[in-house]
Amino acid sequence: MGSSEDDKVVAVIMVGGPTKGTRFRPLSLNIPKPLFPLGGQPMVHHPISACKRIPNLAQIYLVGFYEEREFALYVSSISNELRIPVRYLREDKPHGSAGALYNFRDLIMEDNPSHIFLLNCDVCCSFPLPEMLDAHRNYGGMGTILVIKVSAESASQFGELVADPDTNELLHYTEKPETFVSDLINCGVYVFTPDIFNAIQGVSSQRKDRENLRRVSSFEALQSATRNLTTDFVRLDQDILSPLAGKKQLYTYETMDFWEQIKTPGMSLKCSGLYLAQFRLTSPNLLASGDGTKNATIIGDVYVHPSAKIHPTAKIGPNVSISANARIGAGVRLISCIILDGVEIMENAVVTNAIVGWKSSIGRWSRVQAEGDFNAKLGITILGEAVGVEDEVVVTNSIVLPNKTLNVSVHQEIIL
Amino acid sequence: MKALILVGGFGTRLRPLTLSVPKPLVDFANKPMILHQIEALKAVGVTEVVLAINYQPEVMLNFLKEFEKKLEIKITCSQETEPLGTAGPLALARDKLIDDSGEPFFVLNSDVISEYPLKQMIEFHRGHGGEASIMVTKVDEPSKYGVVVMEETMGKVEKFVEKPKNFVGNKINAGIYLLNPSVLDRIELKPTSIEKEVFPEIAVENKLFAMVLPGFWMDIGQPKDYITGLRLYLDFLQKNSSSKLATGSNIIGNVLVHESAKIGDGCLIGPDVAIGPGCVIEPGVRLSRCTVMRGVRIKKHACISSSIIGWHSTIGRWARVENMTILGEDVHVADEVYSNGAVVLPHKEIKSSIVNPEIVM
Repeated sequence: MGSSEDDKVVAVIMVGGPTKGTRFRPLSLNIPKPLFPLGGQPMVHHPISACKRIPNLAQIYLVGFYEEREFALYVSSISNELRIPVRYLREDKPHGSAGALYNFRDLIMEDNPSHIFLLNCDVCCSFPLPEMLDAHRNYGGMGTILVIKVSAESASQFGELVADPDTNELLHYTEKPETFVSDLINCGVYVFTPDIFNAIQGVSSQRKDRENLRRVSSFEALQSATRNLTTDFVRLDQDILSPLAGKKQLYTYETMDFWEQIKTPGMSLKCSGLYLAQFRLTSPNLLASGDGTKNATIIGDVYVHPSAKIHPTAKIGPNVSISANARIGAGVRLISCIILDGVEIMENAVVTNAIVGWKSSIGRWSRVQAEGDFNAKLGITILGEAVGVEDEVVVTNSIVLPNKTLNVSVHQEIIL
Repeated sequence: MKALILVGGFGTRLRPLTLSVPKPLVDFANKPMILHQIEALKAVGVTEVVLAINYQPEVMLNFLKEFEKKLEIKITCSQETEPLGTAGPLALARDKLIDDSGEPFFVLNSDVISEYPLKQMIEFHRGHGGEASIMVTKVDEPSKYGVVVMEETMGKVEKFVEKPKNFVGNKINAGIYLLNPSVLDRIELKPTSIEKEVFPEIAVENKLFAMVLPGFWMDIGQPKDYITGLRLYLDFLQKNSSSKLATGSNIIGNVLVHESAKIGDGCLIGPDVAIGPGCVIEPGVRLSRCTVMRGVRIKKHACISSSIIGWHSTIGRWARVENMTILGEDVHVADEVYSNGAVVLPHKEIKSSIVNPEIVM
């Protein structure tokens, strides 16, 4: 099919749902994960504003299991701010990511797009979408997958792929293999032509046929590995990418920038830092600065919401993000942390390697800290909404659920 | 007659159960905690109950509409916008508590489970003619609480001592009060403690009297005490309305089973067990000292003791769950898994054994 530069593009961002992601607790007890701020902006804001750089972007759809009202405000404000139509679509039941795309195909095809981007919201990267689209057009296939090289040890947590070094064609794909296949992994960002819908439908009908066959032969029923999947549940990785690898339909585009998955609160602190570092390059005016004279001393990449108030004797950074209406008192030291809306940090307190929840209060000379291992269960200290830490109390490597007050020090604990 | 139930607070000590419903609606012996109190109040002629809340009013209000109709008692809410302590909420609800009758009103603490001898309390209050009556209960370790020092014959209260280091008495505040409307004149609409500010003032004027609570008493605001409280409550039921308890060859001791629950063959249930509505207990299951909330399925050959299983959870075949395991709503324990004191947040699957007490988020 001929593609002209005027052809429209639609982007679909998968945002997941409330009961599926328990790994983001306790923060997800108060806010849908996609709306948790990284580098001062909601998580989903980063792929959305990356989409804005795509020429002829017609529409962005957010697809998930959350109630519509949880996204209503955000969607309306971001549509306004970026002047692109953004709409939230709620899945009534799980379809798998390919199945979800297929489920909403009529809406997606309304603008008659020539290309469709599919992105996972909980991916932290530079989203080189226009470059990916150009590469995809050159390859001329049905789909292009964003890929990145990682260490051999960590590769097995992801989908591993093998690509042709000259043509960049996807030769082989396998999800979370037990043995080493490749250090090139699937970033969870894809661009497709509308042929993808035919491919998905193909999988659905194949499954329907197999089901019909099963009714005839019960041996077939015992054999079928997909016997638990309904016909409209189609996974992108196992059901589309794996079978189509090596058939000159799918290609890869490698990113040399950063890439992380944001599955846990600890990782959100790491990714907030990655985005702040990215702002340093792309929009340094978003970052704070100060030398202790009129404003607080700022070290490294720091984001401060315009409504936050910081005492000039405080020292902030590196990797600190301070949200709306927070108040940081005299002599406070903040290192590698996310301070959420309405938090009050009193004089001479220290916060390092932590996330301090909305409206929490941190007392004088108290210390909220952690060892800083983003992957460990208690590697980053997390305080939920409205947690009070009294004067001089030390909180180390701990997680505190909302509405608790700590008047004694805690170490390596989860406080419900 | 009117009553105020102090509900305030987030119920954090009863997490993970209170992550799904507000504390007063957590079931105890197959009935929402607060319903035990509302029924006791209705039984002595209270016609209006005010709930002093500061959290999740929408959930509470829905529940209340349902029970207002069933119980034929008026239930209203008084919502704190800032924490008012233990006395402030009374000032906030003043207009609802006072009417022309000049009758005294009850104040109950919502975490408390007891026999609620409210009729005797009314007679006691009339008898001494003072301004305020409080229930006190005898405990083994008084220095964990606030002790009420009182004179033995009339029960006149002399003073309150908070967590005393030396023995001054073994009676503590049971959280049940009967107050004359004039008490409200002593309380300003600001964060105030009834034990530290209001009662001492009344005691000094020799107008505060304490009655020793006959029967059992428990603050069930945390899981350990909830389980002990169930034992005391079922013991009380056995002495007073034993027809409510289950009987049969597969029942040991005091066991409460909702009529819609199903129990299979070869089970051994009890002592001190409560099984909620819609539960399915499959054959060969052993349950002791535990609460099984609405809609739970316990599969064959499983064994559960000293634990609380939250609404709509499932326990797999041959699973063993014990030692203060608390499962939130919709938690699924796989077959053959062992849980020693796991505390599990709602909507989780437990696929491997938990050998030491831990919190699963």
